[in-house]
Amino acid sequence: MAQYSAQLDDVFVALADPTRRGVIRRLGRGPTSVGDLAGEFPMTLPSFLKHVRTLEASGLIRTTKSGRVRTCVLNRDRLALVDDWLAEQRRIWTDRTDRLAAEVEGNDQ
Amino acid sequence: MNPDLDLTVDRIIRAPRAAVWKAWTDPSRLAKWWVPAPARCRVERLEVRPGGAFVTRLSEDGDADFVPHLDAAFLVVDELRRIVFTNAIDSAWRPANPGPVVMTAEITLSDHPDGTDYRVIVRHGDPAARARHEKLGFADGWTSVTEQLAGTVE
Repeated sequence: MAQYSAQLDDVFVALADPTRRGVIRRLGRGPTSVGDLAGEFPMTLPSFLKHVRTLEASGLIRTTKSGRVRTCVLNRDRLALVDDWLAEQRRIWTDRTDRLAAEVEGNDQ
Repeated sequence: MNPDLDLTVDRIIRAPRAAVWKAWTDPSRLAKWWVPAPARCRVERLEVRPGGAFVTRLSEDGDADFVPHLDAAFLVVDELRRIVFTNAIDSAWRPANPGPVVMTAEITLSDHPDGTDYRVIVRHGDPAARARHEKLGFADGWTSVTEQLAGTVE
């Protein structure tokens, strides 16, 4: 649970920036090279690469290098974390209720 | 109840209300079921009264390293009937914003022919509010952002 929470924190922080959300939207249309991506955002390449590294660290994107071209790919599973947080909380409380029921039904009749 | 933010659990537990209440309010009993194995829970403070502290620590692998898990306060305690606690304030009543999401949990026990009707309502804060708090520049509403993202990736 603590690990899940840390992952979710990374994802929310990564998404809390308009440039990084722009990159996610762009990658939703398909894998794109860092060079092509950078051309679409009005900032220096070093600044843009920082955003790419933040997204990569959060797990929202993966990058692969082929020759001199680094390509970014969206990790849809990680993006799903954003929508799944409530399902995760529900699972925690349902499992907790199962354990409480097992505890009292076994011991205190 | 906001279906986008809140959850409910409703269960018939085949034991009397007093037994369920005891499993909730006795620290050694609570520690047995509060977290899933192999993690272990240590109940540091369980002051079951309005304003009382509710503090647990957790060891992920069940070994010696216990880390903070929950630091919350009880809001409402109706003996044998209802417990409400929140982590939006900590056990010292200091406003808090713990991860992954702030919540208020309401646990209600009612009599049932087979034992106890056990209901949980957990009302959550908006996790986006936390992201906004941590990092300025989150101008869009969270819902529109996720909708936009979902629209482009589905």
